[in-house]
Amino acid sequence: MSHLIEMKGITKTYQLGKTDVVALRGVDLTIDAGEFTVVTGPSGSGKTTLLNIIGCLDRATSGSYVLDGVDVGTRDFDDLAGVRNEKIGFIFQNFNLIPVLDVAENIEFPVAVRKNAEDPAALRARVEQLAKAVGLDQFLHHKPDELSGGQRQRVAIARALITRPRLVLADEPTANLDSKTSEQIIDLMLALNREQAVTFLFSTHDARVVSHARRALQISDGRMVAGAMAH
Amino acid sequence: MALLKLAVRNLLRNRKRTVITLVALVVGVSAMIATRAFINGFRGMIIENQTRGVLGELQVHHVGYVANVQSSPLTIDMVDSPEVRAKIAAVPGVGVVSPRIDFGAQLSTPDRTPPHEDGSELPEADRGTSTFMMVTAFEPALEKQVTPRRWDWIGAGRGTMSEAGDSTSLVLNDDFARALKLELLPAGAALPPVERQAALITGDREQALNGENVVIGGTFASVTANDRRIGFLPLALAQRLLRMEGRVTEYGLTLEPGADLEQVKAGLQAALGPEYEVHTWAERIPFLTDLVETQTKIFNIVSTIVLLVVLLGIVNAMLMSVLERVREIGTMLAVGMRRSQITRMFLMEGAVLGVVGGVLGIAVGLLLVLVMSQAGIELPAPGAKVASVIHPTVEPFFVVRTLAQAVIGSALAAILPARRAAALRPVEALAHT
Ligand SMILES: Nc1ncnc2c1ncn2[C@@H]1O[C@H](COP(=O)(O)OP(=O)(O)OP(=O)(O)O)[C@@H](O)[C@H]1O
Ligand SMILES: [Mg+2]
Repeated sequence: MSHLIEMKGITKTYQLGKTDVVALRGVDLTIDAGEFTVVTGPSGSGKTTLLNIIGCLDRATSGSYVLDGVDVGTRDFDDLAGVRNEKIGFIFQNFNLIPVLDVAENIEFPVAVRKNAEDPAALRARVEQLAKAVGLDQFLHHKPDELSGGQRQRVAIARALITRPRLVLADEPTANLDSKTSEQIIDLMLALNREQAVTFLFSTHDARVVSHARRALQISDGRMVAGAMAH
Repeated sequence: MALLKLAVRNLLRNRKRTVITLVALVVGVSAMIATRAFINGFRGMIIENQTRGVLGELQVHHVGYVANVQSSPLTIDMVDSPEVRAKIAAVPGVGVVSPRIDFGAQLSTPDRTPPHEDGSELPEADRGTSTFMMVTAFEPALEKQVTPRRWDWIGAGRGTMSEAGDSTSLVLNDDFARALKLELLPAGAALPPVERQAALITGDREQALNGENVVIGGTFASVTANDRRIGFLPLALAQRLLRMEGRVTEYGLTLEPGADLEQVKAGLQAALGPEYEVHTWAERIPFLTDLVETQTKIFNIVSTIVLLVVLLGIVNAMLMSVLERVREIGTMLAVGMRRSQITRMFLMEGAVLGVVGGVLGIAVGLLLVLVMSQAGIELPAPGAKVASVIHPTVEPFFVVRTLAQAVIGSALAAILPARRAAALRPVEALAHT
């Protein structure tokens, strides 16, 4: 069976003025559907860079990357918009909700921007079901600025799941939350992984969070130092 | 996603900025409407003064007259008889027919004091003078119906124009009469002795010199810059002076209400035959076209500048909006919104601004026009001594065009900000703080 993510020899070099900053120095990584994986590493080690490449937000300088059977390396950016939209859900450190949209509209946004729209009634039902799953069914018509940080991140999780993605990426999803709320968010993601087989890959600094993970990757100075290959 | 909904909400997000942008748009659009209406009203006032004060709606001459109008040719004249007038009046759409003669004459004014007993010369200031002037002769009772504005101007001057058939009373421009130190003969007063009367002297059709005594019965106030050396004379007196009994050079005509100018003109030409020529008022005042063209040109330049400034305001406001929304745009791109959709979202914001600002601007502009036209703006024409009333009006086509300019212009103004937003790279946009 083929892997969900198959990366070989991924490098990333940023051009910073005249100097080159090497962020990734040849990363090999495979992830299978249904996994719950956490990436850890010191600040500046390359976690965000790796997640951006996996999420098709950025391109590797070299190496090969196949996502769910799609050779991502050969696609252009607007083409990848479709890949991102269909296959990947994003959860951000800063929540990044659209401030002018209410909770329900934020959750349905990735589906609403599609060219061929889904049946509105079915979409609404799914939005409500997801809102219930993240515990926000009482807040459907609240604007993001009327919600707490934890609630906002729950909206973001629901938004990431509305497209039934193959993979949910979360770059330090708990960094802006207090420890109790972080715990709840992690529990929510674990439950979604367990009950709905959602594949999660997220980065964190938080050692306690790591302890929940089924699989932990460690990155240091642009190299994978532990856990790269499936157990 | 309904782009319209997103656009409206984003505009409502920074209300102060949106309101300021809208106010600029409303001021610009309403100023364009009001200015245009004022120019139209100004043009209407000039037309009104010309048609209802000088020309009439239509004019009939002997063929060739208008081509030689500068020399007021008396030889290119027509027989005037009840039959001719009836023939003209019989053409459908023709209202009142007023016969006229236009001619130039020397106005000779009497000495201001009796001659000295000892035969010595009068001082310069008391001696009479002689000066050239243009005279329009008509029958007051008829002319009053064709160019009633003349009588408004006489009303703003002094005295009256006698309607008596044997009247020798000349009505002069008030400034002209004052410059010549001419005294008015009060209505009903006995004529002064002949040597104390003014005289009009001119060559008749055969170039023979003739003179007739006149008295100054009234004056009219100037309404234009070039009506100073002008006077009105009873037609019968002019015909005697010019040895043109039973002849005139011009008929001034009114139209019946609702009649079509060009249609009546064609009807007249057909009824009268090739011996006659028929002109509309517009053909007699070519300067009006030039004037309107110049005003329109200046108006277009100014309104283009105004619109550009307003639209630059929109560009600026939307660029600020893009800068504030960088991370949000990054998020939209990340979750799969395409660059073209980002572009459309901002173009939609520009268009919504344009529609709202344009519609409000037109509403305010039309309200201004309504207030101005109800009140009527009193404004003297260039060089005039009495004010004419301007009634501003605006044509529906111009209103529609201005709205289209505001909407399309605003959408175009959004192109630059929209392209900037769509060109953002999501990784960097998401990292933006
Ligand atoms: N846009 C960029 N331009 C230049 N250098 C960059 C850029 N983004 C990241 N880097 C560099 O690449 C390296 C890896 O950065 P990255 O953000 O991936 O680390 P990280 O592990 O996510 O760190 P943190 O834990 O602080 O978020 C760092 O040295 C960083 O300075
Ligand atoms: Mg990072």
